[in-house]
Amino acid sequence: MSDQTGHALSIETAGLMKRYGSVVALDRVDLAVPRAAVGLLGPNGAGKSTLLKILLGLSRPNGGHARVLGRDAVADGRELRMQIGYMPETDTLPDNATAADFVSHMAEMSGLPHRAARQRAADVLYQVGLDEERYRLVKGFSTGMKQRVKLAQAIVHDPELVFLDEPTNGLDPLGREEMLDLIGRINRQLGILVVLSSHILDDVERVCDYVVVLDGGQVVASQPLHVPDDDTADLHVRVDGDPEPFLKSLEGLGLVARPAGIEYTSDEFIVARDGGRAVDAIRDAAAMTGSPLRLMRPATRSLEDLYVDAVGASDGARSQRRASKR
Amino acid sequence: MSAAPSQYGEIFDRGYHRYDGPRLGQAHAIWALARYSMARSLGMRRPWTAKIIPMLLYAAVAIPVLIAIGIRAFFPAFQFLRYPEFFGAIFLLVGIFVALIAPEMMSSDRHDQLLPLYFSRPIGRGSYVLAKLLATGILTLSMSLLPAVVLWLGNGLLAPEPLPELRSSLGDLGRIVVAGTMIAFYLGAIGLTISSFTGRKSVAVGVIILGFVLSESLSLAISEALRDQPDVARWALVMSPTRTVMALVGGLFEEPELSEGVPVNAALGVMAAVIAICCVIMFAWYQRRD
Repeated sequence: MSDQTGHALSIETAGLMKRYGSVVALDRVDLAVPRAAVGLLGPNGAGKSTLLKILLGLSRPNGGHARVLGRDAVADGRELRMQIGYMPETDTLPDNATAADFVSHMAEMSGLPHRAARQRAADVLYQVGLDEERYRLVKGFSTGMKQRVKLAQAIVHDPELVFLDEPTNGLDPLGREEMLDLIGRINRQLGILVVLSSHILDDVERVCDYVVVLDGGQVVASQPLHVPDDDTADLHVRVDGDPEPFLKSLEGLGLVARPAGIEYTSDEFIVARDGGRAVDAIRDAAAMTGSPLRLMRPATRSLEDLYVDAVGASDGARSQRRASKR
Repeated sequence: MSAAPSQYGEIFDRGYHRYDGPRLGQAHAIWALARYSMARSLGMRRPWTAKIIPMLLYAAVAIPVLIAIGIRAFFPAFQFLRYPEFFGAIFLLVGIFVALIAPEMMSSDRHDQLLPLYFSRPIGRGSYVLAKLLATGILTLSMSLLPAVVLWLGNGLLAPEPLPELRSSLGDLGRIVVAGTMIAFYLGAIGLTISSFTGRKSVAVGVIILGFVLSESLSLAISEALRDQPDVARWALVMSPTRTVMALVGGLFEEPELSEGVPVNAALGVMAAVIAICCVIMFAWYQRRD
């Protein structure tokens, strides 16, 4: 991952507030997001777009501050916007322009000289798979091709970080696959940091290393994906044969096992770690009952689990707040 | 970018490359946006149908000038098109031209939802408006000033003694520059301001044309109603862009019948004030962030 500015964090916010009249869109958002491919998740109205607008300098916060790549999003907006790219959710392309003209124009708007802009537009359109079509008018493009043009204009000036707002919107399954591959390549091969705002968990899970979940204008989760915490995570266990004696024995040792989930076989269980005791207890239970222990590893939580827990807890907290106000 | 050349040519690596070339500043971005906006307004790199009306309007302005220069070449004593007549004749064409290009400059960006894309780039909101003013100003000057300068040059160069003629008519050139520039920015600013408020080009075109027609009628009605007070009535005339421009041209070229009693300084002041007010409105409108 490139680190041109030398900052360990890609996004930092402190007490970020945004109101639209009486509606609170962001409510004291504190974030410290590392330099990674970041997924921004949340239900509709959670504040994802508002947060993106503030980070891009398109909207001013009512309170708090936001830094992107170490620069203040309001005070250093111009310098910051030279280093970032933006692919909006909406259909933001002029119909009567060719892809090459438009992408080249957007490169010039980011300060590239005319010739360099033309050259980079051609290269980037090739990268996103629009080499042959680049001299066609955008109005004749399919939704997938338009999304690619939007992606091309977001990276044509070689930004350090690119914000992608619902990049797979309106795409068919094949188009979605291709777009996610492209985004993954932009991040892993080209070294551009990605912030992917989406309501599709699978998109975020496929592309991102870190996830921020917003709900009701608040951050309800901000943590790495795919990296289990070995010291604290529950244990994922599988035993061969009839698991009942093993489970009973575990129960006798004061531990409860629950099924690992519908995506696993019926002989796989999750055992709460219960401090440092669980590893020894599982070993002892397996030895006492003669159950062959085939698997014991830290359990990874799926993004879906994380999202449901975070948003569910947030909804519960909100209901509680409402009830206490009444 | 490319591998070492060989006798068979070069192999190009089309892969993504980091860009380490120069990144130019605000002035470059403003000029890039102005250039792109001008090209799109004139229908360049767009289907041929988008080029027809601008080209027809340019032809409508150029043809009388070319005829006047041609007549001057064969009949040096005969002046077919005098400058006040020229400005009187092209004013309507410039108005139509502005009604055509201003919505293309402003409304199209709103319609295509390009503003978030522009404002997420280093160009600021004020610079965006400046670029659009620059683009409109240059295009409108090419209609209002350039043909008049060509006419002046033609008149001078085709005179029996070109250099003394050009020298003696430098005052005319100054008046042409003032009139052409003021007309361009006055009409351009009005057209751009109206177009800033809508994403629908047809609505912007309609409102611009309706605005010109209504202001003309209103100014006539008020000046007629105040016929008994001619000092007051003449100020109602400056509500109409047509009469304001004619007052300016009449005052500059000393043709009182065109001015209808409105002093040239008053016409200049009104036009400058309208340009300033339009700029303030546009800058304020585009500063809104939500």
